[in-house]
Amino acid sequence: MTLTAVLLLVLIGFFAGGFGALAGVGGGIIVTPLLAIYFGLPIHQAIGVTLLCVIATSTATSSLYVERHVTDIRLGMTLELATTVGALIAALVAHHINRRTLAMLFACFLLYSAGSLIKKAWGARKEKREEAIPDYTPENYPLGLIASLIAGGFSGLLGIGGGPIKVPVMFLFMRVPLRVAAATSNFMIGVTAATSAYVYWGHGDVRIDIATPLVAGVFAGSLLGARISPKIRSFYILLLVIGITGWLAAQMIYKLLTGGFQ
Amino acid sequence: MSRQDVAADRLLSLTLKFGAYTALVLTVAGLLLQWIVPWGVTVAAAGLLVLLGTPALRIVVACLQFLRERDFKYALVSFGVLAIVVLAYVLGIKA
Repeated sequence: MTLTAVLLLVLIGFFAGGFGALAGVGGGIIVTPLLAIYFGLPIHQAIGVTLLCVIATSTATSSLYVERHVTDIRLGMTLELATTVGALIAALVAHHINRRTLAMLFACFLLYSAGSLIKKAWGARKEKREEAIPDYTPENYPLGLIASLIAGGFSGLLGIGGGPIKVPVMFLFMRVPLRVAAATSNFMIGVTAATSAYVYWGHGDVRIDIATPLVAGVFAGSLLGARISPKIRSFYILLLVIGITGWLAAQMIYKLLTGGFQ
Repeated sequence: MSRQDVAADRLLSLTLKFGAYTALVLTVAGLLLQWIVPWGVTVAAAGLLVLLGTPALRIVVACLQFLRERDFKYALVSFGVLAIVVLAYVLGIKA
């Protein structure tokens, strides 16, 4: 690989990790399409490499959230029973799904993410910083476990974290405060993504030459992002991520329509 | 929040930080070394393996901490998660 390509990958990783820490999304939905569209990686390999970026973001950011006591470790561990099962099954199935179908599923997920991010940005317009966490007891575990199973499945299939599925369910149906839901989802993602990553690694779908510069960048970006996150407003970051997500969705759909991803 | 929870949070946070910084140092070192020496790629791969192993280590640490707190319900839950992750690892290798 050329030096330019390596530096580009470090940069992509840095922004993906930074967005992951600041906006709660990034790793998965940005890296996979970039690798598939601009680096010409087969979609399975793009997803395999992205899983490592997702683990890196989760590990780096949740080390800080856990330290700040925002993460509900018991809730996270319980729901991981379901996310890991979903991730394992989906990762095994993904290997047998053809590239175009997988790319199409990914494009649909990008559009869904852009939509849910627009909603999040609308809510973040006037958000207040760092309120105390109210007392709560998680309710409705069966629904939480089902949602986690589905989120884990998407993780194994598409190499994403599944935050846009878990966070609303924990917040709305399990009555967990939003900040705790986001931090706990983030905490779970590392274990979920690792489960699928083991399967992708076994299939030889994790390219070390591509993963190394990306992961180095992701760690730097997400460690920095998590440190500065209490000090900055997420609204403008969200707008930027919405723009990028929309652009990548359009690019993927264009490439699919013109017969790409064979 | 009880004192035990604070202790568990500190221990898990330390585990995650240890994994994150070790993987960061190894991948950056591997990235630079691969232009100079042939074994640079091995260092990079070691960094990726640390990255892949950290979530599993985090489950083991949580499980042990729950056992120490005599919270057997969550020790069992952690053990269940660990079992699924190990199964994924085994199936991945065989695939």
